Amino acid sequence: MLILSRKLGESIVIDGRITVKIVRLEGEIVKLGIDAPIEVPVHRQEVYDEIQRNNQEALAGEAANVPTLSGKSSAPSTRPQLQQGKAPMPRTRG
Amino acid sequence: MKTAELIEPEVQTVSGENVIQIPDGLLGFEHVKKYVLLAQPQEAPFMWLRMIENADKRFLVISPVHVLPDYQPDISSEDVRFLGLTGPEDALVVNIVTLRPNRPPTVNLKGPIVINRNSLIAKQVIPNNASRFDVNHPLPV
Repeated sequence: MLILSRKLGESIVIDGRITVKIVRLEGEIVKLGIDAPIEVPVHRQEVYDEIQRNNQEALAGEAANVPTLSGKSSAPSTRPQLQQGKAPMPRTRG
Repeated sequence: MKTAELIEPEVQTVSGENVIQIPDGLLGFEHVKKYVLLAQPQEAPFMWLRMIENADKRFLVISPVHVLPDYQPDISSEDVRFLGLTGPEDALVVNIVTLRPNRPPTVNLKGPIVINRNSLIAKQVIPNNASRFDVNHPLPV
């Protein structure tokens, strides 16, 4: 892991396009300002950990029984929003 | 930003050759990349996302239309590109259900699985607006 020392108001740049700035220091809390292209997802680590734990708990074996939903809905449509990014090149995945 | 219409998945058994590829794996199951989506009429609206190489391991999933009618996960353009979605109608969204003994089942709205209907490439995405959704949303049972 690369470890850098930064002072309040200083930044680091990742990949020439993502800037992480130390915006505020409040006791043990460091406030970060993140400037990234819209297509770069930025989430707290806890979100990944939470979903990972949930997946592990949800893993079911052959014996699992399917529950019954109460009052079957008339299934109104759900609309996920898709962001249409302007970046021309998809990022390479390892 | 574009709005996608989520079409309810057809209730049918997906045959063995319709393998759903999850190149990144599910979170915590990164090494498992091939699944099959199984739907049986008597289990509707639930479906099983079953591992191909470990056929006794599976996840119960449900289309979010049965859980939260106004569910609108905001899928990042990064994920849209990764999945090769050219339009909203390409996307099939399912959410993982957690069954627990003596406790009501819940559904994970924070990390939906988005499947490209055409290529069958899928990813468990974290929507931009994930903070608005519960990882343990109660199922109406």
